[in-house]
Amino acid sequence: MTPLAQQFADWFATALRGPLAQLRGADPVLGLALVVLAALVVANALHRHLKLPRLLGYMLVGTIASPALLGLLQSGDLDAWKPLIDLAIAALVFELGTRLRPRWLLDNRWLAASCVLEAVAAALAVGIALVMLGAPAASAVMAAAVAAATSPIITMAVVIEARPRGQVAERLMTMSALNSVLAILAIKLWSVWTGLGAPGASDAPAILANAALVVFGSLLLGLACGWSLDRISRVDGDATTMPVLQIALVVLAALLSVALGLSPLMALLVAGMTARRRMGHRLTVEPYLGSAGAALTVLLFVSIGLRSSLGDLHALWPWVAAIIAARLLGKGLAVAATARPSGLGWGQALALSLALQPMSSLSALLAASSFSGTAQMAGVDAAVMQAVLIATTLMQLTGPLWVLWPLQHIARECELPQESRRHGA
Amino acid sequence: MALEAFATSQPLTLGVELELQLLDTHDFDLTPRAQDLLRELSRHEGAWDVKPEITRSMIEIGTSIQRAFAPLRDELQDLRGQMSRAARKLNIGIAGGGTHPFQHWSAQQIFPTERFRYISELYGYLAKQFTVFGQHVHVGVPSGDDALWLLHALSRYVPHFIALSASSPFVQGVDTGFHSARLNSVFAFPLSGRAPFVLTWEDFGHYFDKMTSTGVVQSMKDFYWDIRPKPEFGTIELRVCDTPLNVDKAAALACYLQCLCRYLREERPYEPAEDDYLVYTFNRFQACRFGLDGEIVDPKSKQRSKLRDDILRTLARIGEHALDLQALEACNLIRDSLFDGNDATWLRGRLRVAPSMPAVVEAAAERWMT
Repeated sequence: MTPLAQQFADWFATALRGPLAQLRGADPVLGLALVVLAALVVANALHRHLKLPRLLGYMLVGTIASPALLGLLQSGDLDAWKPLIDLAIAALVFELGTRLRPRWLLDNRWLAASCVLEAVAAALAVGIALVMLGAPAASAVMAAAVAAATSPIITMAVVIEARPRGQVAERLMTMSALNSVLAILAIKLWSVWTGLGAPGASDAPAILANAALVVFGSLLLGLACGWSLDRISRVDGDATTMPVLQIALVVLAALLSVALGLSPLMALLVAGMTARRRMGHRLTVEPYLGSAGAALTVLLFVSIGLRSSLGDLHALWPWVAAIIAARLLGKGLAVAATARPSGLGWGQALALSLALQPMSSLSALLAASSFSGTAQMAGVDAAVMQAVLIATTLMQLTGPLWVLWPLQHIARECELPQESRRHGA
Repeated sequence: MALEAFATSQPLTLGVELELQLLDTHDFDLTPRAQDLLRELSRHEGAWDVKPEITRSMIEIGTSIQRAFAPLRDELQDLRGQMSRAARKLNIGIAGGGTHPFQHWSAQQIFPTERFRYISELYGYLAKQFTVFGQHVHVGVPSGDDALWLLHALSRYVPHFIALSASSPFVQGVDTGFHSARLNSVFAFPLSGRAPFVLTWEDFGHYFDKMTSTGVVQSMKDFYWDIRPKPEFGTIELRVCDTPLNVDKAAALACYLQCLCRYLREERPYEPAEDDYLVYTFNRFQACRFGLDGEIVDPKSKQRSKLRDDILRTLARIGEHALDLQALEACNLIRDSLFDGNDATWLRGRLRVAPSMPAVVEAAAERWMT
């Protein structure tokens, strides 16, 4: 750095020190509100001038304000907002559920095979890579299960913003839902496996019964919520009350699933699918379940940025790189292997492989079967866990680009930036 | 470019082309998935053809050369079956109907070929507004002179085909009040409407030369007439029908045309004249606006009657020809549809049952695909 640049940097740090110290000492609720406001301004500027997805701006501002960088907020400061963040996730997952069409998997068996294969291949590739780099096998299995999932919330948020039309986007939504569910099942099975050997653990039938309860209980809860939405909307199905009704049902499903120890993700996906199946075109789902949901979504993505974890990157980078590269390879090979028989062109297969890359912070939370921020993964090596969290952070922060760029430039399923400029968007 | 020679083809042979809607199975709006479906159908079985249309949300299918109703219907059903399987595999819906009830023209994307790009540059937004779906029927004729005679003789019956096939009551989410609103989109093109009244291929060649010398047209494809000669196939092509909601109706309409052509060629009930076109636009409007309940003015007798009654009388006249052409079943289907109502009536009925446009389109897709 030149002396002049060094002087400027020192001046800038001094100039910021005072306001930053004041902000750090402010009420955390007020602090987060200010960060959200800043996120809106930055995201709109990025979208207008660089045509980048808004959620990228939200996450960037969250990351800058996080303990890892400016430290304006601490992770604990989010506790007061957690119910609202949970609701934002729940709304996106419910909306994803309404977009799924299980019938497609029956009509196209190769697609069903592709969905399973890409999740399994990514998990296998990550697991093998970590073991080869010296990670403990049991921890590598957990990391592999987490790596199988694609972030359903980043997928859904990009789809809502960019409105792509085509089979890459449709497959992406289906696969991100299915691989997240498969990740839940894998983590549950892993818990059963490790629980059996732990001192003082319950007996095997009890643990298995608990795992079955989570799966079938979540399915039943989702079915009940979807059915209820249909019945209630028949009594009071006014278009103005529909978003309120949907938010109420989503809150109910999320709260009940947490209270009963079930999986909110599975319950809400099933609720969305059931509601769509029973209500057909009577079910109108506004993006983010309406403007209130949209506001919460901003909060959600800012909070994802705030939770960024890049600590020990200098020491763990080989594992982080291995997780990201192995996942890319596993998903890419599986999608390519099933592309033609499932009706996908080579370019579309490439676009889908790239779009599947955003990792899911949800997948790290799945171990606790809830959306709570501090999932406990008993028995997992701390270094492996940190490597997974770093990889997740990196692939979430860049996630909108992984999804949007292939959809725009390879699959051509949504408007290119120059086209949207021409249309005055 | 000079007008090409008129190829000879066996009289009264048939070929049917159908333009179809590609639908998103989530919201049942149009979806730009033609390339996906074309790739999936590239190894289809059968002599039929499938090709792109002007926008990426459309696809066109064409039968092989046929002579009678049963094999034509069988081929269309086979074609429908293979297309539906491919579409289900790709999560696409397919439907007939002359317009998509609520698509927005500006959202449509031009299919990337040289011809479609040329049309898009020439006609501007009209090209995207041309996302309408028609049935074209080719009838074989032995010579260019025969083609032009038959083309003008058939003009009296054009309203029959509009009213029978009408399936485009909705445009941009609104009930237009028309049975066939699709033809209003076609009217916007400068070279649409009726063909010039010439009765020999030589005179038609003079007309064509004059038009090409003005630079207004480059080939026969630039004419969007209701009926036009197709010299390279040796056929005349009726282009006024909306795509019906099922293939049986499409086959029946084609065979009704075949019977009419045989009746006109063999019985020569009248000679076509320029003055026949005095009532042409009125009759055409009545059929588009009111469907089978519209009125038709006979260009020779100047008598006014209901279109439904005129079709019934025509069916009675062509009965023997239908018998000879093995098209009685087709004529019965046409007769039944006079009382059941056309597809536009069916679509309006669906909207009354489930008051949502996407639900109407989903019902139309179910009707086409099963």
